[in-house]
Amino acid sequence: MRLDLINTTAFRLSVGYTLLVTLAVSVTLGSAYLLTESLITDEVDLIIDSELKSLEEKYARSGLPGVTDEINLRIDSWGRIGAVYMIADSNFERIAGNVTNWPFDGMPTEARPEFEIATIEPGRRAVHPVRAAVRTLPGGDLLLVGTDISQGRRFAEKFRVATLWGIGLSTLAAALAGFWFSYRLARRVDEVTRTCQRIMAGDLGSRLPVAGARDEFDSLAQSVNRVLDRLEDQAGTLRATFDSAAHDLRAPLHRLRTRMDALLLRTPPLEPGVHESVEAALHEVDRLQRTLGTLLQIALAESGTPLAAPAPVDVGELAAELVELFEPVAGSQGVALACRHEPQTLVHGNRQLLAQLLTNLIENGLKYVPRGGAIEVGVRRLSDCVRLTVSDNGPGIAAGDRARAVQPFVRIGHGKQEGSGLGLSLVAAIARLHRGRLQLESNEPGLRVVVELPC
Amino acid sequence: MHVLLIEDDTEAARFLVKGLRESGYSVDHAADGREGLFRATEGQFDLVVTDRMLPHIDGLAIIELMRRKGIATPVLVLSALGSVDDRIRGLKAGGDDYLTKPFAFAELLARIEALLRRRSSSPQTTRLRVEDLEFDLLARRVTRGGREVELTARELKLLEFLMRRAGQVVTRTMLLEGVWDLHFDPQSNLIDVHISRLRQAIDRGTDHPLIHTVRGSGYVLRSDA
Repeated sequence: MRLDLINTTAFRLSVGYTLLVTLAVSVTLGSAYLLTESLITDEVDLIIDSELKSLEEKYARSGLPGVTDEINLRIDSWGRIGAVYMIADSNFERIAGNVTNWPFDGMPTEARPEFEIATIEPGRRAVHPVRAAVRTLPGGDLLLVGTDISQGRRFAEKFRVATLWGIGLSTLAAALAGFWFSYRLARRVDEVTRTCQRIMAGDLGSRLPVAGARDEFDSLAQSVNRVLDRLEDQAGTLRATFDSAAHDLRAPLHRLRTRMDALLLRTPPLEPGVHESVEAALHEVDRLQRTLGTLLQIALAESGTPLAAPAPVDVGELAAELVELFEPVAGSQGVALACRHEPQTLVHGNRQLLAQLLTNLIENGLKYVPRGGAIEVGVRRLSDCVRLTVSDNGPGIAAGDRARAVQPFVRIGHGKQEGSGLGLSLVAAIARLHRGRLQLESNEPGLRVVVELPC
Repeated sequence: MHVLLIEDDTEAARFLVKGLRESGYSVDHAADGREGLFRATEGQFDLVVTDRMLPHIDGLAIIELMRRKGIATPVLVLSALGSVDDRIRGLKAGGDDYLTKPFAFAELLARIEALLRRRSSSPQTTRLRVEDLEFDLLARRVTRGGREVELTARELKLLEFLMRRAGQVVTRTMLLEGVWDLHFDPQSNLIDVHISRLRQAIDRGTDHPLIHTVRGSGYVLRSDA
């Protein structure tokens, strides 16, 4: 399994954090920018207002010539840097000031109109933005006072670039940090997942890695490892219990069988009627033994004890061999038994158990399919598993009974009920032991058993 | 033939010893693992039959110690543990055959016979012959009385198994294991049907059949009627 970073919680979280960081930085720097810009403009407006006021007062005191003198004085001697003045008549013709032409198309409508002037500076021609205010003097002339705001503009421009860089860099840093964190987190979680999968596959001795960082992952790993210790312990105990159960149940059966065997081999031989009875009893002992064996096998498989020494098994080939083995019996029952399998249908598992699984399914079919019917065993390779199907056109199992049919000692239908009622339970147990899946479906008509075994 | 039986279940052992003696074997009995190991390593036996779960020393440990001492006597393991990996473990330890309890006495007898005869048969044979039945192992060709017999690959394998053990009783379980590599008992009478097909091909039209049914045990391929 490849590490799929995008689908991890850590990755999604870090994407979220990155967006949050970007938003926070944007809001902070953006509002600082807007604030600074408005501060600069306010400052400029304040200067313009106070100059306008003093020039209007000058006009009130000494009329147009006084203001003209005052402006010329300010331009020449102590004028502030970037100051722009102009007095024009009502036809917008220049009377005085350091602007050659009226910069607006008529009377500007805004309170603080802006325009550009070209200045000749040593060696180059420059264009300067100017912010201004216009007053109509009592005599009908126009007074314009402005300030070159190119410096403020440059400052604002620099501020804007810096802000954008700041947002970009902090986003990048947050994204990189997020990626790094989520990668590390995902890798540790992935390690845990892999180990768990290995354990599921039967390596009950495997443990989660403890990094020694004493973080929450280590404590999680330690807790899981303790659970695994207990599980392994229990599996061992269970195994020992099954072993002694098998021994304690089989030993008396064995003595019973041996005694009956001895009776049959006795000289002089038993009377024919007695001989038959003993043989029949022996047959029952064998049945009992088989049921016991199957039960123990199911219990062992269900106990979570992993497969011992799994090896590659070609399920298709195995199915073909078993179909060949059963074909004569099927033929004698008037049932057509056939196998269709793809090449190279390899499964990691136990050949004997898989053969037992196939045998049970074929025997089940032979038990229920009437003369003239057909059973088909199919093995196909899918992308990540091998799909084994055993389909027949017999009576099938009603949809409501299918789940029950897999349970031990449950017999469905009115077939020749000779079996132990454990056949499908053992199939389910063997499938589970191979991490596979068993499903009963309708073959329309009949039964289709589908077993999917991961490769 | 001298057989050592290591079995702690005294009642089962009594019947086995009696049965084996009646079948013409001379039998020694050891009732626990320690005695069994001592007898198996000190005495001269043609075959050892040992239970797997024994007091003092486990049956598999006895086999391992025997093999380490270079004693190649064939060993048949009897066990109440019948799962697939129990069997694998039994054979890995150096056992030659594995029989799960309870078993039919006839099954034990047939397997003992097979283990004892195995030492004398050579696997390098290229041609098997019983009376007028001939099997060319290299060409995979079978003739009966000079006439070619058509057989499938599986029937050839089955016939080879029987011919290599000509004169010995071969049980259905032995055939399932040896010819189909299946170590469990399917419920149907599968083997009987396959044998009867083979019999059709080999014995049809002759007045002295070679494949015989042994009641309660299995089959034997031999020349006399």
